[in-house]
Amino acid sequence: MQVSKEWLKTFIDIDVPTNELSEKITRGGIEVDDIIDYTADIKNLVVGYVKSVKPHPEADRLNLCEVDTGEEVTQIVCGAPNVQADSYVIVSKVGGRLPGGVKIKRAKLRGEVSEGMICSLQEIGVKEEFVPAEYQDGIFIFNTAQTPGEDALTALYLNDQVLEFDLTPNRKDALSMIGAAYETSALFGGDVKAPESSVSEIDDVITMNIENSDSEAVPFYAVREVKNVEIKPAPLWMQIRLIKAGIRPINNVVDISNYVLMEYGQPLHMFDRDTIGSDKIVTRLAKKDEAFTTLDGKERTLTENDIVITNGEVPIALAGVMGGLDSEVTAQTVNVVIESALFDPVKVRKTSSRLNLRSEASQRFEKGVSHEFILPAVNRAAHLLEKYAGGKTLKGIASEGALNLEPGVIQTSASFINNRLGTDLSHADILETLEKLGLGAEETSDGINVIIPSRRDDLKIPEDISEEVARIFGYDNIPSTLPEYSTITPGRLSDEQSEVRVIKRQLNAQGFSQAINYALTSKKRIGEFTDLSESLALLMPMSEDRAVLRTSLVPHLVDNAMYNVNRQQKNVSLFEIGKIFVTNGQDQLPDEVEMLAGIVTGEQHKTAWTQSFVPSDFYTVKGVLNALFAKLSLAERVSYVQAAPHDELHPGRTAEIYLDDKKIGFAGELHPQYAEDYDLGQTAVFEINLAEVLKIKTGSILYEFLPKYPSMSRDVALEVDSSVNVSEIIDVIKDAAPKYLTDVYPFDIYEGEHMADGKKSVALHLTYLNREKTLTDKDIEALHTPVEDALVKAGYTVRG
Amino acid sequence: MTVEMETIQLEFNDKLSAVDNSKALSDLRVEYLGKKGKVTGLMKEMKNLSNEERPAYGQKVNVLRNEIETAIAELETELSAAAMKEKLQAETIDVTLPGRTMDIGGSNPIDRIVEDIEDFFIGLGYEIKEGYEVEQDYYNFEALNLPKSHPARDMQDTFYISEEILLRTHTSPVQARTLEAQKGEGPVKIICPGKVYRRDSDDATHSHQFTQIEGLVVDKNIHLSDLKGTLELFAKEIFGDDREVRLRPSYFPFTEPSVEVDISCFKCKGAGCNVCKQSGWIEILGAGMVHPNVLEMAGFDSKEYSGFAFGMGPDRVAMLKYGIEDIRHLYTNDLRFIDQFIPTEDGGEAHASI
Repeated sequence: MQVSKEWLKTFIDIDVPTNELSEKITRGGIEVDDIIDYTADIKNLVVGYVKSVKPHPEADRLNLCEVDTGEEVTQIVCGAPNVQADSYVIVSKVGGRLPGGVKIKRAKLRGEVSEGMICSLQEIGVKEEFVPAEYQDGIFIFNTAQTPGEDALTALYLNDQVLEFDLTPNRKDALSMIGAAYETSALFGGDVKAPESSVSEIDDVITMNIENSDSEAVPFYAVREVKNVEIKPAPLWMQIRLIKAGIRPINNVVDISNYVLMEYGQPLHMFDRDTIGSDKIVTRLAKKDEAFTTLDGKERTLTENDIVITNGEVPIALAGVMGGLDSEVTAQTVNVVIESALFDPVKVRKTSSRLNLRSEASQRFEKGVSHEFILPAVNRAAHLLEKYAGGKTLKGIASEGALNLEPGVIQTSASFINNRLGTDLSHADILETLEKLGLGAEETSDGINVIIPSRRDDLKIPEDISEEVARIFGYDNIPSTLPEYSTITPGRLSDEQSEVRVIKRQLNAQGFSQAINYALTSKKRIGEFTDLSESLALLMPMSEDRAVLRTSLVPHLVDNAMYNVNRQQKNVSLFEIGKIFVTNGQDQLPDEVEMLAGIVTGEQHKTAWTQSFVPSDFYTVKGVLNALFAKLSLAERVSYVQAAPHDELHPGRTAEIYLDDKKIGFAGELHPQYAEDYDLGQTAVFEINLAEVLKIKTGSILYEFLPKYPSMSRDVALEVDSSVNVSEIIDVIKDAAPKYLTDVYPFDIYEGEHMADGKKSVALHLTYLNREKTLTDKDIEALHTPVEDALVKAGYTVRG
Repeated sequence: MTVEMETIQLEFNDKLSAVDNSKALSDLRVEYLGKKGKVTGLMKEMKNLSNEERPAYGQKVNVLRNEIETAIAELETELSAAAMKEKLQAETIDVTLPGRTMDIGGSNPIDRIVEDIEDFFIGLGYEIKEGYEVEQDYYNFEALNLPKSHPARDMQDTFYISEEILLRTHTSPVQARTLEAQKGEGPVKIICPGKVYRRDSDDATHSHQFTQIEGLVVDKNIHLSDLKGTLELFAKEIFGDDREVRLRPSYFPFTEPSVEVDISCFKCKGAGCNVCKQSGWIEILGAGMVHPNVLEMAGFDSKEYSGFAFGMGPDRVAMLKYGIEDIRHLYTNDLRFIDQFIPTEDGGEAHASI
């Protein structure tokens, strides 16, 4: 909504600087997005009278004009095709300035002196799209006599600033000049003057009959008829005010309709009475696939949800959205029918958005128009047609339906308002504020009844009144307090939330940077690194790459690694904590599972001059996970099982991870082919179900007394088949020596020279501890011999 | 001292002066003090002496032995000190070479901002609630006073999966669900961070996925002034002590009254700069008093209970705080970007910077 200050002043006496007006309106709840100042960058612009025009002797397209600019008569060279003698024009004098940094100097054009410039509207800052058609290709010419030398901006009603309102959806009341005036009045005081809308009806009675066949779609429909109008340009002030409001003037009849729309926020439609084709207007819902040509010449196919205005037979307008081509006001129109109505907002919104026809009219119907302005608007239009189009208004208004002109009542109280706002306003303060807003107020025994005019039917509940009071009272004046709770509860992270933070810090400390990827991915990445083969799909994706919800975090981490490697970041370690989505069908909520995934590629922790680094292999990610499980007190419960669960992974270098007996994820190296497809070398990844991990409660640390007696150790060297996993050997050892064995770990694995084909050597270190006494050699012997026996029995060769 | 003894002493002195390493010294010790050593050999003379002479002779041998032992010990100390010195010299390294690399990773700036905000509100007694990213239309819209016909619900802005299932467009459904689970009993004090989705084309300032953090307080006697006080404290804590807060009336379907919250610009301190677009103020939050319809739909008596809610975008906060020029950097996971966010931060000089 663009509010001209000059126009606003016709509704309310307001004499404050534009900046102050704008600031106060903004702080009052309507953001003034921008101030369009038509006077900015303009100097020395006057009205000129063109006394004579003769062709430039040296240039076909130029004319030499003798122009009276008040103090003097000068020659100005003009190239506009519409320049003519005996006309009043806009002249930028020598020394003048125009928008865009243009300075007007005395010039010679092909040998002829030009002292100034005759201007078009565009040249003085009017947007091309709002310039009336007749002036679009030339200079502007006043349509009435002016005084030469007078300030042209004043003569043009452009000595003005326009406030651009960025209205929130609840402030439809300010979608009109009268609404802007009420808002100004609430903030600055002063009375709002309604526009003159008296009508001089002639004796002839209105000829149209109205019938609404669906009273929900069209609760009220009214028309007036004005005959014998003369189609011509509207008066200059009206045209310019429309331009300032962002509407292009067309002719007096159309302009009056738009002018009243801007005044009251009530869209009107003007029909050519003689092309309606009947004496009645019937409003109804369109028939399925009913065809209708709108006034832009396009044939529209309608649906049963569109409201149409018909002549009893065929549509003549699409209610609230656009008129019909056949009944449009044209240069030949003599008699008009003015429509002022109320339409179902939701239906208008659906129609306008389906047909992509959003207009000043439709956006007001969508938000709901004020009942109280429907009849004043139609009268105002008739009044203006009488005055500026020579029309005669027929007797009566034809209408059907009822308007709700009874003001609404909201029951509230000072204590309620003060409680919601945290203020200490008196009864009188509140009543005064309501009065400023133009709302009525009645004191009752236990509070205040606020009387709501229909222009503010957005106000429905006591909370709305608290907002109105707050914004007029001023948010700066509201005190600052902290809540006083009915019960004090501590604030803290949940166990899971604390653990997630610990995990993030630990991975950071191990060199992993935190990635955040998009949850939407392409269909072709579904099924990678997961057993899930189905995904949730968007109804209307914006691109194939973002069409479905991810089923694993790893594919995007692979993309991230590739992105970095391709930008000279060869050593990458990233982790991500985020959700995957397990579909339960498109019309059900999915299972959202929080996962932790990571990727390493290149050389980790690399020290170039010592040539040392940690490779990006399986054992690195396994080590990272082990440290994590140790931190979470779960290391003892986690096991790794050799597996080849997904095609994207190296079948020999991948393990599935179990927490107790539950599979929670995997760690492995990328399949070399897959890695190559993403420009990666040896790369290891992991992904675990974090939700499962966090679910486990491990409680406090259980402290053990330090042992008083020394531990003893023994090494075992074995020769085993290459295919034997170390974990199998350890299981054998643990089974054989359940007592006092506190630790067993492999310290050497060898395969190759000096070993038979298909064999490897495995050396393990065993630690025994009796917390009650020192173990003697004899004791160890007794413990260790069964271990060696068991290893032999298992088919391993114990080496000397 | 006998002549023999003197000879030994002189000879020893000669030999000792030639010793320059611990091996030679050890040999010398054996030569004189060993079982077959020269000093030890003197004792064998005892048997040729009379009983009267023996004690004096023995004493003399012991004096000689002590002298030799002392001399050896002294040289030993000297030699080992020299050897240590030499060893240290040999072991000297170039301390200006880089240390062994222990890489550390960076946090995504969004996460840093979210944790800072969480920690502030935890300090005020709030809990953190997270929820579904895929939501029912009901919790994302209807329970928040956005019925199906509401004009603010534009199909174009929402990623729908089916008619009733969608990607949440804000974290507010967490509030709706939390309220509902309270069965009409306060107090509720929660902070809800999380990913949200809008049907937007990605560019420098728009992202189809971004982050939101919302707060909700519901109890008896919660006032708009409590919201103002809480957010003032928040602005000072997160953005610096001299930050001011300004509320402007606004509109959200789920709050009434609704406000936009500006903080005085932390870069220019309100003087006007490119960060605040010359206004001195930065719009950072939307907030308001919880709409009674929202409370009622969740089972709260809106006469008895009231509350406030606020929401902000950590992506935007991160971009403002660090001057990040493109929102897509937050989701590209370029190490050159993330690893700028390794260091810890504090309030800076007098808590002046953000």
